[in-house]
Amino acid sequence: MSEMLPLPPFSLLQPDSVEACTSLLAQHPEAKIVAGGTDLLPSMKYGIFKPPTLISTQSIPALKTIEPHKGGLALGAGLSHWDLHQHADVQNRYSALAKACSQVATPTLQAMGTLGGNLMLDTRCIWYNQSQFWRGALGGCLKCEGDICHVAPKGTGCYAAHSADTVPVLMLMGAVVEFASTKGLRQIPVADLFPEDGLKGPKALPGELLTRVMLPAPQGDIVYRKLRTRGAIDYPLLLTAVRVDRDAAGAPTGGGIVLSAIGPRPLQVQGASEAIASGDIEGAAELAYTQAMPLSTHTTPSTWRKKMVRVEVSRALSCLMS
Amino acid sequence: MSVGKPSAKIDGLEKISGKAIFVDDMQRPGMLHAAFLRSPHAHARILSIDTAPALAIEGVHAVLTGADLPVNYGVIPVAQDETALAVDKVRFIGEEVAVVAAVDRQTALLAAEAIQVEYAILEGVFTIEDALNPDKPLLHEGRRKASNVLRRVFQKYGDPEAGFAEADVILEEDYFYPGSTHVPLETQGALAEVDGKGKLTLYSSTQIPHYLQRALARILEMPSKKVRVIKPHVGAGYGGKSDPFANEICAAALALRTGRAVKCILNREEVFYAHRGRHPTRMSLKMGITQSGRITACDFKAVSPGGAYASFGVVTAYYFGVFLPLPYKLDNLQFEAKRLYTNHPPCGPKRGHGAIQPRFALEMHLDKLAHAIGMDPAELRRINTVEANTETCNGLRITSVALEECIDRVKAASGYDEKKGQLPPNRGIGLAASAYMCGALHPIYQNDMPQSAVQVLVDRSGSVAIYSGTADIGQGSNHMLAALVGESLGIDPENCVVLEGDTGLTPVDLGSYSSRVTFMAGNAAVDAAEKIAALLREAVATKWECEPEAVRLQGGLAVDKHDPDRQMSFEQAAILAESAGGTLSTVGHYTPPKIGSRFRRQSVGPSPAYSFTAQVAEVEVDPETGITRIDKIWCAHDCGKAINPLIVEGQIEGSVYMGVGEAMLEQHDFHKGGLHRAPSILEYKIPTVHDTPEIVALLVESNDPGGPHGAKEAGEGPQLATVPAIGIAIHDACGVWLNDAPFTPDRLLKAIERKARADQKAAN
Repeated sequence: MSEMLPLPPFSLLQPDSVEACTSLLAQHPEAKIVAGGTDLLPSMKYGIFKPPTLISTQSIPALKTIEPHKGGLALGAGLSHWDLHQHADVQNRYSALAKACSQVATPTLQAMGTLGGNLMLDTRCIWYNQSQFWRGALGGCLKCEGDICHVAPKGTGCYAAHSADTVPVLMLMGAVVEFASTKGLRQIPVADLFPEDGLKGPKALPGELLTRVMLPAPQGDIVYRKLRTRGAIDYPLLLTAVRVDRDAAGAPTGGGIVLSAIGPRPLQVQGASEAIASGDIEGAAELAYTQAMPLSTHTTPSTWRKKMVRVEVSRALSCLMS
Repeated sequence: MSVGKPSAKIDGLEKISGKAIFVDDMQRPGMLHAAFLRSPHAHARILSIDTAPALAIEGVHAVLTGADLPVNYGVIPVAQDETALAVDKVRFIGEEVAVVAAVDRQTALLAAEAIQVEYAILEGVFTIEDALNPDKPLLHEGRRKASNVLRRVFQKYGDPEAGFAEADVILEEDYFYPGSTHVPLETQGALAEVDGKGKLTLYSSTQIPHYLQRALARILEMPSKKVRVIKPHVGAGYGGKSDPFANEICAAALALRTGRAVKCILNREEVFYAHRGRHPTRMSLKMGITQSGRITACDFKAVSPGGAYASFGVVTAYYFGVFLPLPYKLDNLQFEAKRLYTNHPPCGPKRGHGAIQPRFALEMHLDKLAHAIGMDPAELRRINTVEANTETCNGLRITSVALEECIDRVKAASGYDEKKGQLPPNRGIGLAASAYMCGALHPIYQNDMPQSAVQVLVDRSGSVAIYSGTADIGQGSNHMLAALVGESLGIDPENCVVLEGDTGLTPVDLGSYSSRVTFMAGNAAVDAAEKIAALLREAVATKWECEPEAVRLQGGLAVDKHDPDRQMSFEQAAILAESAGGTLSTVGHYTPPKIGSRFRRQSVGPSPAYSFTAQVAEVEVDPETGITRIDKIWCAHDCGKAINPLIVEGQIEGSVYMGVGEAMLEQHDFHKGGLHRAPSILEYKIPTVHDTPEIVALLVESNDPGGPHGAKEAGEGPQLATVPAIGIAIHDACGVWLNDAPFTPDRLLKAIERKARADQKAAN
């Protein structure tokens, strides 16, 4: 068979432990980490990245474990989406995460794509995730080979959309990620991982490998909804996760709303907890609607995606509160 | 009996087991790989091309530019406006400018990138308004008339003015149907090689081996007999492989240049630039109707920005209008259709070519008229159905028609009468109908020769070989040929070997387009098979000393009709016949009947027969999101006779599926400067299994007098009514008409909100 879109040449390193991996990362600052490859390899075929070296995490057993951790779970970053949504503990105690993993792309991509890869997913935009030829005909964009953002030509930043299916749920769960490097371990809440500017990826430091995701003991009830054009394959048009916390009598005491796929980082809706505590679904949906500012990063019009914020939040909350 | 028996395709196992060979599976010693340099500009003059940097790269064997292949071509002889590589000018983003042959694909791509091209950018022509504006630059200079209108067609039948004067209700509205592309699973690909005597063989993923052979001979300035085109297994076409393509011509030219085999396979993005898909079409439709439901007149206008080259565009312009008098009686018609040049990848034929867009407008329109006169829309269609053995106002000869039965069947199966107006809020049901051709009466190039020929060879082992120039692209024409020959010879189709799509070995067939293959090649196959059956019967009769008519070929045997115990095997019969008259081979052919028309100019549209379809869609609309879920589609199709009902059902399901994609998702669309919005199958959305409704295929058989065993087409017609059936069902569900397809959630939600505001205003 002809190689229709050949990968640019690279050398592949396959460490078998976290230590070996971090030491290779220290030796190869030019390298990129590849886990499942479901995001990186297509981008490399499109010539968006041309790393001379790839360091694969596929052969590191420690990244594929699920262990109890402080009443919750510590998930290895190398677990696939399929592993996660098929795991009994995840299904029973973190069903919203199981659902998020089960809605990534397609079963075959779920089997390859990893939790860590999803957290470190590059932001996406219709002006950016295109072939080298296409980008050349366009003249590039702010994020790659150009100096204009075609989404907001008068703006100064990049608005490529954060599109990681698992992140809104992980944020509402209070998940914390752990990075390893030759300098040691570093922990950071998922909520703090994403920069405001779509140009930059998640805030990993040079030489760091994402190793674990710590889920605290389950808190409140979480509902996750993914809006996409088709029933499979597609990246999200809007991700909605809502959490309702309750008192012993079952009355709502607060919670949170996180949206994504509408900007470079997930949006934590301000004032959501108070609105949920007062049982005001419409008010909470209105807050989300007001704060969400989707732009033309997708082929689907942003005006419709904004309207959907109100509907999706209200439907998610209704699942838990009516 | 093999006709009418549902059975697996004779080449099915080969395909599902991965053994079938497609062009990209093929390897040759020393084979080179080709890659294109494409234009990054929508409209520009080429000032210079420097290929030296590419040729300097190790592993590069040849580079060709437009200067090497200057001969114009085009699938339609009156519109030969293409060259394989751009000459002097580029006319769309993605157009082929140069091609490299190198030892591997990576080197070829690298070398293509190294070619230096200097362009002078020209103003682009991107919209209907641009193309009709005489102040805009011309895409093609030197045409007889300086204009970006490739073809304007105006035809008038009966007396439309008088018809409108008779009408009780006249409705005039505008519609828009989007462009879409075929997305065959296998991309276009070709492999060329030249033998020691300079004879060229091209293996290609094509629907038209014969036309391709002619085009190659013309472009490469070689005699046709030195060009052989072989179509291996093909992973679908849907009309997208009905033109000669640059990758085919360049593979051939590079093989001639280098003396090596050259493979040139398009990647997925390149298929979006090769395109030849559905024409985006703006339409205006005016129809008059009497209170009793008689359609009195129709005035239709269509205009399409069709891209940079003609492809089949001249034919498209005719198809926009000529099928309007089907499937409903219509005495007074006028239409005007324009196919324009714009700086986009060229549109061409896609399943239901040229008929899909007007059918969408007309069926939606008819429903509105039914509402206006207070008649059930299904009944309105029923009472207007054209009748068998009649002629339409524009001279189309109608033979068999079972549309009323289609409507009845589809209504009964869907529970239409119980559901219409009775469904819960936001649920709706819609019915639409259509007709389509079974092959074009006239070939693409004027000639009086057969459109199809089939040779059958039976040897002393009892083996049966069928040679045909047809192009099975997955639709099952190989099985069709085997089933028809098997029927005549009384043997299982599995025992026939079909060798097809090889211009060096098989008799000419014009190819897989216009839904012509079953009707035309099928008739040729029956002709050949009946001739050879007669030889077999005669030989057996001589042995048995009986009349040949008394010999029946059935169940792999020859049987005496009057004494069923007297039998011999098919193999013995073959030995007898070969002994009696020499090697057993016959040729059958099909030449369409010369149908005299009242209208001399009517050369596009006439077909030996027409298929008919009725469909019902049931949908649920979410009024808060505008998202439509299609629950189920019932499709009753008058295919004349189902030679293999399983394949006909498959064709119906595939057609409806494609209709669902066009109705709900697909938009072959461009940014303002002519850059394709989403040339990938991630962002160009076709339905997944989750987005596909349950499809119920109902076969209706009208036994056409001219079809092989009564068969008509089933590969295209079943798509026509899908989009309007869904559009009508959406209206039934939520009370809004979407005159623009596709029915995307944002579009539907806006319409629902508009209606709510209007209702609110009316209430106040």
